[in-house]
Amino acid sequence: MARWGMIIDLDKCTGCQECTIACKEENNVPHGSLEEQIHRQDPYWHKVIAASEGEYPTAKVEMVPMPCMHCDNPACVMVCPCKATYRRNDGIVMQNFRRCIGCKYCMVACPYGARAYNYKEQEDVQYNRIDPPLRRDLIGNWPFPHRAHGMVEKCTFCFHRIEKALMDGQEIGTEVVPACVEACPAHARTFGDLDNPDSEVSKLLSNRTSIILREAMGTQPKVHYLTK
Amino acid sequence: MELNFVSVEGHSKNYKIAVGVLAGLFLLGLICYGISYYKGHYLFGSSNVIPWGFPIVLTIYFIGLSAGSLILSTLVYVFGQEKYKPIGRMAVLLAIVLIFGALIGIAIDLGRPENFWRLFMFFYWNNMTSMFAINGILYSGYFIISIAYLGIILSGNKAWMKRWGILAIGWAALVHMGTGAIFGFMAAREAWFTPIKPLEFLTCAITSGLALLIVVLVLTMKFTGRDLRKDMVVSLSRLLIMFICILALLIFLDKMTHLYSPERAAVMFSLTGQYAWIFWVLQIGLVVVLPLIILFNKKLRTVNWIFIASVSVVIGIFFERYFLVISQAAFPQHYYPGHIEGVYGAVGTFAITPVEMGITLGIFTMVGLLFLLGLKFLKALPEKTAEELAAEAAKLAPPKAEEPLKTEASPKAAESSAADAPQKTEEAAKTDAPSENTHANPDENKSS
Repeated sequence: MARWGMIIDLDKCTGCQECTIACKEENNVPHGSLEEQIHRQDPYWHKVIAASEGEYPTAKVEMVPMPCMHCDNPACVMVCPCKATYRRNDGIVMQNFRRCIGCKYCMVACPYGARAYNYKEQEDVQYNRIDPPLRRDLIGNWPFPHRAHGMVEKCTFCFHRIEKALMDGQEIGTEVVPACVEACPAHARTFGDLDNPDSEVSKLLSNRTSIILREAMGTQPKVHYLTK
Repeated sequence: MELNFVSVEGHSKNYKIAVGVLAGLFLLGLICYGISYYKGHYLFGSSNVIPWGFPIVLTIYFIGLSAGSLILSTLVYVFGQEKYKPIGRMAVLLAIVLIFGALIGIAIDLGRPENFWRLFMFFYWNNMTSMFAINGILYSGYFIISIAYLGIILSGNKAWMKRWGILAIGWAALVHMGTGAIFGFMAAREAWFTPIKPLEFLTCAITSGLALLIVVLVLTMKFTGRDLRKDMVVSLSRLLIMFICILALLIFLDKMTHLYSPERAAVMFSLTGQYAWIFWVLQIGLVVVLPLIILFNKKLRTVNWIFIASVSVVIGIFFERYFLVISQAAFPQHYYPGHIEGVYGAVGTFAITPVEMGITLGIFTMVGLLFLLGLKFLKALPEKTAEELAAEAAKLAPPKAEEPLKTEASPKAAESSAADAPQKTEEAAKTDAPSENTHANPDENKSS
């Protein structure tokens, strides 16, 4: 079984937020009104943070894109009371909308702030995509395709693309990648199988210095960052 | 000491007004909840930074009061402290009412309350590593156990009272430690992450439960015209001193553990950040400093001052919960080395919204309403002594002369006062709550 992971090259990243926009388009994440953004109630699946260090002459700002880290040891799966959040066999941490009761415990537990709550009944309540046929051995229970307010949402590593590619026999990592990887103009992102030694991600990890965020939490994220 | 318990008759004007006002506010809360269910949680003050708002504050506050109150009732029924007997039943009644309020609070905080049943699919569709799922067992079990406990106390079976009381006290302690674990086990939130949290919660529960018991005791005795025994209040206040001291010690240890370790940003934010005044003034000031000043002062050892100290503790513990759930969660998480610019590194703000306030008020009044109704339908209050009855009769005599005037104004009042008359004589003859009481009640609720 593959173990999907992502490499983000912080040296190449310019912080253009194209990945955030691509994610919103692909997954129909609501844009959120100004009022929602002021109250920080806008749903997001992906964010780009800016971390600064030092004072003016020696100041440095790093743009760090943060999708869900899809941890191998996820804190959110540990605390979800209803098994609405679960880790698939291929390592993707999913949110089952049909099971979610909206208790927000996972948002409290997540050390990466990767989860957002759907605070408002949105106009566009459905995913505009045809769901691929089910492969229960791989994906487990299919998430509820309808979106409603009162549930926690998160990045899925564009699992629908991966499913479709597996059906069609396309190669994942080169031919088919998640929307944010596809959209990145600087080619800062790489997607692939961390367990496969021939994959691009494995090669990058072995050649370059990489970090993971908040390592002390012990969550073992599968999104790695190449340092500047 | 033989002690009989009675229910309040519920015919006095004060009782009707109280029930009417509480029912009205409860209705307001229900309407607010309906709005929030259809429109979404953006009507609440919670956000992606501070996921939990007032319903959760209320929930853990009520669970604390409930567990504390039940633990104290076992002083009578398990440890045989006969001097506390007059409050035993009231404490259990309070515990049941409050845990019900807490369960409602959880249900309201859920985004999809229609999926509430999924919390109770133990071991099947539930993830038993979640503190929520474990607490689901604890809370629902606690609700059932305390109802059964009240039933046993009312039936008066002494052997079972003791056995069931031991079960109840253990379970209540577990309930509250489990609630503390919800927060204490969250490694991602540094300010919450401490093994001392369950114990802190337990002490908090007993402190606030005790203080609430004193408040309710003084108020109920006053409004139902019963004689309050000062020695009992004073001895309860001594217990309160002890628990406040333990609580202060635990809070100190909790903060010190975080301050001593190099990663102290989160707790420094709690102690000196923009919400620190809630901690220093409302939590430490109202829970520790003010009550201790009052209670250690020998000159102030009167019922009124002890009452003030207890009210201060009850209010202060509410803000302790508020500070924990809302203000400490506002500290931004440190995703990456350096200072995180912009919105993701900003301290969260919590806007108090009308809808959330309405719901909060609704839960509070629901608890008050249930307690008042409980006093009416269950024999929870100690019986009046002969002197108290005589004093009451003397007080009631002048208004009775005025009653004919009222009856002219409204014939309905005449009916109710006529219905009152036989029951009052019955109560004077120390009979149990007559069934006429229950018959009279629905009409009364409608009229109020």
